[in-house]
Amino acid sequence: MRRYLRLVRIFVGATLSAQLEYRANFLGAVLASLGEVGVALLGISILFGQPGVTQVGGWSFREALLVTGFFMLTEGVISVFIQPNMSKIAEAVRTGNMDFTLLKPIDAQFNVSTRNLNVLRFPDLLIGLGLIGYAASGLEVTPGGALAAAVLYGSAVVIVYCIYLGLSTTAFWFVKTQNVTELFSGVFGAARFPVAAFPVPVRFVLTFVLPVAFITTVPAQALTGALGGGLALASPLIAAALFLGTRWFWRYAVASYTSASS
Amino acid sequence: MRALAFKARVLFATRFAEMAEYRAEVVIWMLSGTLSLVMMLVWMAQAAAAPGGQIRGYSAPEFATYFLSTWLVSQLLVVWVSHELDFQIRQGTLSPQLLRPVDPMWLHVASHVAERLVRIVPLLVMVGLFTWLSGASFTREWWAYPAALGLAALGFSVRFLYEYAIGLLAFWTESSASFQEVVWLVYAALGGMFAPLAFYPEWVQRVAVWTPFPYMLGLPAQLLAGKATLAQAGRGALVLLVWLAVFWVVRLIVWRVGLRKYGAVGA
Repeated sequence: MRRYLRLVRIFVGATLSAQLEYRANFLGAVLASLGEVGVALLGISILFGQPGVTQVGGWSFREALLVTGFFMLTEGVISVFIQPNMSKIAEAVRTGNMDFTLLKPIDAQFNVSTRNLNVLRFPDLLIGLGLIGYAASGLEVTPGGALAAAVLYGSAVVIVYCIYLGLSTTAFWFVKTQNVTELFSGVFGAARFPVAAFPVPVRFVLTFVLPVAFITTVPAQALTGALGGGLALASPLIAAALFLGTRWFWRYAVASYTSASS
Repeated sequence: MRALAFKARVLFATRFAEMAEYRAEVVIWMLSGTLSLVMMLVWMAQAAAAPGGQIRGYSAPEFATYFLSTWLVSQLLVVWVSHELDFQIRQGTLSPQLLRPVDPMWLHVASHVAERLVRIVPLLVMVGLFTWLSGASFTREWWAYPAALGLAALGFSVRFLYEYAIGLLAFWTESSASFQEVVWLVYAALGGMFAPLAFYPEWVQRVAVWTPFPYMLGLPAQLLAGKATLAQAGRGALVLLVWLAVFWVVRLIVWRVGLRKYGAVGA
């Protein structure tokens, strides 16, 4: 365990020093982050700006803003921690560089999942947290609610990571998996609104088929105290099941890896 | 003239072969642009829940029609040239293209047009499926279809040129992808992907009419939904033509100036 913590420190140091070479990009990245939050806010304010609309699917503006905050935060988590690592799996399989990863005396899944960071998108995390803080400041939030939200958001991050890893692991068989993660981003776009804002059949799909509801809606509900016990329990269970499932899938994929020349 | 026709045919035939090879990816790219569809579902649920079943005169099926139309048009406007230029300039793979006796822009034009042909069949199948699922109904006026297609073609040309200019910024900076992202967001917002433009705050609408975005995306969508007139389409086409001329010149200038900066092995 101590060894892995030390490795994380080394990885972070290495990726930071590599990216600080391109400091000038930071400005562009900040611009992109601001644009993204601006558009997210425009979307939600148009929705609530119509005459006679005070709530969407039973959610007030502040509550929906909370969901937008969790959406931005998750976008940040994906682009800072998850995407930079997962996008390299397919590349490594294609070029055969996966050999080096597998030869190292540490867990290969740990290595491919933590090696890289995209610090340029760090502002996304701050913007997401800022939005959540702003939205929550106008709502009644109990300490218990905040704690539950934090825990449930943790399992949301695990769910997102597992979906990404599962999709990227298919690279061991299909080389062009970059596109499959695109598909996830497409579905994830629905997470910018509470699931209650969708028609009933879609709501069902977003909760039980594609676990989008657990990523943004459930933590937001936990924060406002509107969450039922069933969903609160389901989220960590799904996260755990997905984690074990992708772990198994990853090992299975690595076992059938035959390097690049074959 | 015959040489030109020959070049065009070869370019197009090779690009088409390449894109047909990527047909599975083309379908996945189509499905990754879901913003219109997400907004469609949200607005439909909103209209269904509203008293009278309408918001600003839009019922749920009308929302479905509008957003499916924007989705369809946005699929015709897809441009990825800036990513490609960014890559080519940084990696230096632009160099061999400079040796060819045609401006590399036409290579990309051929790619995009060929990809559109590969895209059209699955696109129509999906639009048919979504229409059936959502209860959308498109206009029965025949003239709306060529008019919308014409606007989409103009819109594509405008978008292609400004995206090309953004991609060429890679001659100077590593962040052209970020600029591209910001411009995409403005395009999506002012094009009317979140709602019909009339739903936007007053000041946003006033800004939007001076940009090309509402005419390339929102207007053809409204034509397909039967909510815009031929006169509006004509005016939109004029605005797009002006922007087309502007971006043509801009692209040319950025290309000429940038090329002088290019070090051939990567900028």
